[in-house]
Amino acid sequence: MVDATARDTGAPAKARPRRNYDVRRLPGFGAVAIFTFVMLYAPILILVVFSFNAAPSQAQWGGFSLQWYEAAFNNRQVREVSIRSLWLALVASGIATTVSTLAALGTTRVRRFPGQTMIYALINQPLMVPEIVTGVALLIFFAAIKVQTGYTGMGYLVAAHTAFCIPFAYLPIRARLETMDITLERAAADLYASPFQAFRHVTLPLLVPGIVAGFMLGFVISLDAVVITEFVKSAGQDTLPTYMLGQLRRNITPEMNAIATLFLALSLCIVTVFFLLTRKRG
Amino acid sequence: MSTGTAEIEITSLSKVFGAGASGFRALSDIDLTIRQGEFFTLLGPSGCGKTTLLRVIAGFEQPTEGSLRINGKEVAGEGPNSRPVNTVFQNYALFPHMSVAQNIGFGLKMLGRARSEIDATVAEMLKLVQMEAMAERKPAEISGGQQQRVALARALAPRPRVLLLDEPLSALDLKLRKGMQTELKRLQGETGITFVFVTHDQEEALTMSDRIAVMSAGRILQTGSPHQIYHTPRERFVADFIGDTNFLQVEVAGVDGDGAQVKLPGGAVHRARLPQGMRPDTGARVTVVIRPEQAQLVAPGQGALAAQVEKSVFFGTDTHVHLRLPGDAPFILRRQNTGALAEPDPGSTVGLALAEGALQVVGD
Repeated sequence: MVDATARDTGAPAKARPRRNYDVRRLPGFGAVAIFTFVMLYAPILILVVFSFNAAPSQAQWGGFSLQWYEAAFNNRQVREVSIRSLWLALVASGIATTVSTLAALGTTRVRRFPGQTMIYALINQPLMVPEIVTGVALLIFFAAIKVQTGYTGMGYLVAAHTAFCIPFAYLPIRARLETMDITLERAAADLYASPFQAFRHVTLPLLVPGIVAGFMLGFVISLDAVVITEFVKSAGQDTLPTYMLGQLRRNITPEMNAIATLFLALSLCIVTVFFLLTRKRG
Repeated sequence: MSTGTAEIEITSLSKVFGAGASGFRALSDIDLTIRQGEFFTLLGPSGCGKTTLLRVIAGFEQPTEGSLRINGKEVAGEGPNSRPVNTVFQNYALFPHMSVAQNIGFGLKMLGRARSEIDATVAEMLKLVQMEAMAERKPAEISGGQQQRVALARALAPRPRVLLLDEPLSALDLKLRKGMQTELKRLQGETGITFVFVTHDQEEALTMSDRIAVMSAGRILQTGSPHQIYHTPRERFVADFIGDTNFLQVEVAGVDGDGAQVKLPGGAVHRARLPQGMRPDTGARVTVVIRPEQAQLVAPGQGALAAQVEKSVFFGTDTHVHLRLPGDAPFILRRQNTGALAEPDPGSTVGLALAEGALQVVGD
């Protein structure tokens, strides 16, 4: 049962740790914090800065320029792989989110059944299995299918990406369902809603933040997947990350910095949109 | 609405959770009739099965065996969405993503009623619970007491035959709770709907109910009016759970009709009522109940009992006098502070006069 007493007092008082036990007062806290942030963000900052470099160097600053962005936009190959990556991420995380929503409902909104823990483990398995193993396994498996059917389209990549997006989409949706008061669904049933109506009018609207979170997480994961994509893709199916990897082997130009920066901007946009979406719903 | 006809008829109903030897028997052999238009309370300590029984009536749980009829129709096996019963949940369970008005209109919407009818009923319900000004607010934007009223309005809007209330007042502070008790009685009077109320608060049960069923360990021990439950408890548990009580072990001196002559500590013989169907043998030892307000202090040597004063505890409106009877049995006596009554001295010996009909024999 949810504790309803907290609602009576309006805004609950914010818990404030006692001053002396505040973690910020521990020796070295500031230094560790600063070191961590520098390690996390300095390389990214340098990458962004050099994407605006007029000189074709990663070390020497030659003045401000947008030429590498221009080059990237004018590069037909970059456009092609970017669109392929976005399309793939959209489709794969879309399918993964739908499947995960059903899986989350099936593992939280039912009486406990034998093998439930097993199913939970199986759904999350892609998080545990090394990507290289999945990559090799899919390569062999899909090769067999290719021989049998002759099909060489994007279906393989979609299937592979969907598979490893599922646990990422499943976890936030399941978490949301677990914290959602089951009495709300009971109340809907009590007020004459059929099981489908209760889902449509109560469970689903309340689940939206979890679904959006799951989708976005899946989207980002698919967008930067390298290992499995590398194994599964056929000729001419490069995604942005595998293309970049290929380019870096030959010649590192600030064009890569520009593409990476745009990539970063896109994910920042997604994070911001997600933050704004979830903030209002509390 | 007539108060004679049965609204809910429960026969030989049991509910077992789990299977086999490890199964937990939450409800055993419940037989209960709740009449149309009455305020009926299921009272008992936590874990006694009262909430399970409410859930079985609502349809959230299905009975393991037995029959449940609502308005003459067998509903055991049916889901909650096909029963003419609505619930006010302990935590209110308001839909957080809907406004107050949408919450109240939800039941009618699911029943497929016309927009105009829904709007009219929602307006009527908002007025009934005095929440007109809050119609467009979300549940998180109103206080606990207001959420409570919205939950009531939401459950009443589809005009159910029966309203089930699962400890709805337990989350409110004392003052709000008193206000809501009056409010609930008013709503019940105005709507004529049968209310089935679950609580562990005996005072709430006594003041609000037309009838009470006292439950313990999955069984109904006694059903009756608050007056009957308080004054003629059939079992020790019922007497103990409701109000303050003195228990005395006495010897039966003789049985006559619906009463018995019992020998009190100290030797005096007094008449005690017997619960229906109980006829103890002469000489048997039985337990009698005496409510603290049904004994009076009198001069030593007078009255039915002699006692020694231990201490007095002042409660404002009344004072509790703690006494010891012969044979060391404790006894608490309550007297109203109507005048400047002198408190008896600790250690002094006093007499106790018992009111007519103060003694009630109970089963153990």
